[in-house]
Amino acid sequence: MKSSNIVVIDYGMGNLWSVLNAFHYLDYEPIVTHDPDVIACAKTLILPGVGSFRKAMVSLRKTGIDQAINDAVLDNGSKILGICLGMQLMGNKSYEDGETLGLGLIPQSVDRFSSDEIGSNKIPHIGFNSVHSLSDSKLFRGIPSAADFYFVHSYRMLANGLTGKAATCNYGSEFLAAYEKNNIFATQFHPEKSQTNGLLLLKNFLAQ
Amino acid sequence: MLKKRLIFTLLYNQGQFMLSRNFRLQSVGDITWLQKNYNFSKISFSIDELIVLDVSRGERNTESFCDALKTLSKGCFVPIAAGGGVNTVEKARDLLRSGADKVVINTALYVEDGFISELASEFGEQCIVASMDVKNMGDNGYKVFSEDGSKSINASAKEWVKFVSNNAIGEIYLNSIDRDGTGQGYDMHLLDLLCEDISKPVILAGGAGNALHLAEGLSDLRVDAVATAHLFNFVGDGLKKARHSIIENGVELPVWNDRLLNKN
Repeated sequence: MKSSNIVVIDYGMGNLWSVLNAFHYLDYEPIVTHDPDVIACAKTLILPGVGSFRKAMVSLRKTGIDQAINDAVLDNGSKILGICLGMQLMGNKSYEDGETLGLGLIPQSVDRFSSDEIGSNKIPHIGFNSVHSLSDSKLFRGIPSAADFYFVHSYRMLANGLTGKAATCNYGSEFLAAYEKNNIFATQFHPEKSQTNGLLLLKNFLAQ
Repeated sequence: MLKKRLIFTLLYNQGQFMLSRNFRLQSVGDITWLQKNYNFSKISFSIDELIVLDVSRGERNTESFCDALKTLSKGCFVPIAAGGGVNTVEKARDLLRSGADKVVINTALYVEDGFISELASEFGEQCIVASMDVKNMGDNGYKVFSEDGSKSINASAKEWVKFVSNNAIGEIYLNSIDRDGTGQGYDMHLLDLLCEDISKPVILAGGAGNALHLAEGLSDLRVDAVATAHLFNFVGDGLKKARHSIIENGVELPVWNDRLLNKN
């Protein structure tokens, strides 16, 4: 197994074991930490996510992890992959459980699916849905342009006019399924729970 | 478009995986047996989700259950929901740190002490699977049972389903106690307990004995996923065959290319 400089950020709320399983399968042994100094120096960061936005942001701020992530990504050019809530935390702000500011790495806000958007669909959006990726996406290299990935969420970012849109998904209407711009990557779905499609996406991320 | 899901449910009882019939448990084998007969620990292409429930009668050992969960989830790249006696945020967190992506709640659904809201504010409501065990009482309609089907809850099942679906939960797992383990097919009338405007995904469980039953469940518009816990009916490549047959029956399940990932 390759020892690597992959750091999985542990803020007490992620589905950590699942994320680690996927990297182990790809023969990488990530470091799991909540230490801001380790995070600030990491070359590759994973921000996983199962949880509520507000609780997660409070935890990231209290521990100084928010600053450490921004130092690594914005100052040192380290690459980051946010997964599900992790992606949302990278946004400007979220309206889950009141308005809360995010890390600001993705210039988009996070809001609950509205009934106008989803029509007769249910909330949460749970299950495998077809993700449509852009042909020049690095994350989706080698993955069919419409491929199934696992979603479990009630909040989303919109894709309209966003530079860095890598993939969209349709759930009544279109929302942002994946984002990539320079060293900043994020997926609303769970690649670690999406069979070979997800494993290949993680492999592509590591290859950047 | 959102695909429907085929879920396999594993029942764990103090180190053993169990077959349940009308909630009476029979031991089938330990984790070695399970890994030999079901390939969840290699990439699974037969199921879309795994649910693992600690149904140990008497005291539960969370640590051993979490260990089993870790072993099971290694190499398993579909979502895993786990539960059994979860009544604190800490216990839920333990499961989420051991391979679970979602937490299954049952008995605690009927105690109005704010626990569900607390759990939702910690992990988000999408993380909570509300598991309801329901029994057909004949002329007395349907009743809901807690504590592994041992305790009848007052009021009608329909009222409880409404109460639970309006709570801060992500999806509802409706399980028929009287069909459980019988292989006679799902009790499709369970779906009549749902409010017409239900906005949460529904998993139908209890009674599936073959692929046609699974397809019948999935063909109902109110159903988002079907589950089976029958360890004998789908042994070996049974789940894989069932999956093919469901797709042939016109149900849209997720598709993967198992050769996509070329591990060097």
